Amino acid sequence: MGSCELRDRRILLVEDEMMVAWLIADMLGDLGCEVVGPAGHVDRALTMIATEIIDAAVLDLNLGGVRSYPIADALTARGIPFVFATGYGEDSVLDRYRLWPVLPKPVERAKLQCVLSAMILDIGQVN
Amino acid sequence: MRNFRSLDTIIQNVAQMDLTIGTVIGRTNKVASLSMADHRITAIHQAGGPFVDAVDQTRMPIVFSDPTLPGNPIVYANDAFLRMTGYDREEVLGQSYHFMMGSGTDPAARMQIEEAFHAEHLNDYPEVRYHHKDGSPFWAVMFISPVRDEKGEVSLHFASFLDITRRKQDDERQRFLLDELDHRVKNTLTIVQSIAAQTLRGPQATEEVRSRFEGRLLALSRVHNLLVRSKWAGAGLRELIGHILEPFGVDDQRGRFRVEGDDVQLSAQAASTLAILFHELATNAAKHGALSEEKHGQVEITSKIVPTPSGDRLSLRWQERGGPPVDPPKHKGFGSRLIEHGLAPTLEGEVRLHYAREGVSCEVDMPAPREVV
Repeated sequence: MGSCELRDRRILLVEDEMMVAWLIADMLGDLGCEVVGPAGHVDRALTMIATEIIDAAVLDLNLGGVRSYPIADALTARGIPFVFATGYGEDSVLDRYRLWPVLPKPVERAKLQCVLSAMILDIGQVN
Repeated sequence: MRNFRSLDTIIQNVAQMDLTIGTVIGRTNKVASLSMADHRITAIHQAGGPFVDAVDQTRMPIVFSDPTLPGNPIVYANDAFLRMTGYDREEVLGQSYHFMMGSGTDPAARMQIEEAFHAEHLNDYPEVRYHHKDGSPFWAVMFISPVRDEKGEVSLHFASFLDITRRKQDDERQRFLLDELDHRVKNTLTIVQSIAAQTLRGPQATEEVRSRFEGRLLALSRVHNLLVRSKWAGAGLRELIGHILEPFGVDDQRGRFRVEGDDVQLSAQAASTLAILFHELATNAAKHGALSEEKHGQVEITSKIVPTPSGDRLSLRWQERGGPPVDPPKHKGFGSRLIEHGLAPTLEGEVRLHYAREGVSCEVDMPAPREVV
């Protein structure tokens, strides 16, 4: 059921809630992606960004009370696109990160696919 | 009975006096206006009487300002106003209303104050974030009334303040709690979504079952989002339809939906119930009916307020057309059971589902919400 632009793409998953991480990891797997992680906290995610090959990332906004903005900054520095996954409303994202898409929780498969495809296609165009 | 002259008369007289003095002094600079302000207060006090005493001594912060002078400076402030702001009288007199705002006041509030001064009748008085002399912020609502002289010209502005800092803090706290509650509900729903996905992953469950479950859960989440926005006050019918039917393409180019009729403001409970109804109908239509892939069917949703002797009723109709011929289902699934038996009691109305050959239809008849959008 995956679309071709997502096949074998390496997606970093940052999510501290185990059950939710499984859910999104399975969804990514269904889309044909390879999951990097999941990383449950900022340091682990930063290490992965430094050492792994990553095409895009799904970033939980709130990691046990800590916002995941440092991860967003590290991804931006490396030119890796990402989507914030959050149960808070879209307004909860700081202004300077508003350009990045937000994936509401609970997660709609179709939306996850749509957002990731758009990001991957965007990079394709830039390259 | 000099003491019982109305405040208006006193103020008018004072205004009159001022006019004379103003002409003599000239109104060219701030020094002149300050000295005139001094005079004005003296005059008000000399006029005296219970109304002046009341204004002086009331616990409600009150100021008068002179709109005939540049910047509409404050010419009188009572003790309550000085207590509220922490300023001395000399620091207040001659200032404009904006002096207490300091930084951090949004320009919209300034505009609102300006408007309030020029409006004849106001429903919403400006709520403004001011600063005490020590720099700490406080919120006040400002009531402004023009005082007219004999010629009908506005000679003074009378402004009273209500400190609403406590209410603003409560609002803020309530908003925080609602946000947090919203987040927790969403988190729990996501965990439920995950548990279901793990449970239904094996060979014993079909993709159909999983997606039906997920669809219902997401519909619940969508209506939740909508209600959070209104702080659980409710939702508009059109808005609800737009949200719930978005995955089914209610707004997209294919034009498979036609939504017509009266829009109404639904209670939170009615909104949740109708959300389930629309979701189940659309899911069914996508699988078997007018929204199924190969057909170019249409769904028409109409709403109408119908007056009856026992009060207004809301009549809602879902009508499918152009889909494959409909056979009544041999056994009724959760969706139709829910529609026919589960929803009516919550809506205090009736829900009827018809499996006509040319298309499924559903009629809802329920008491109309009071508020019409």
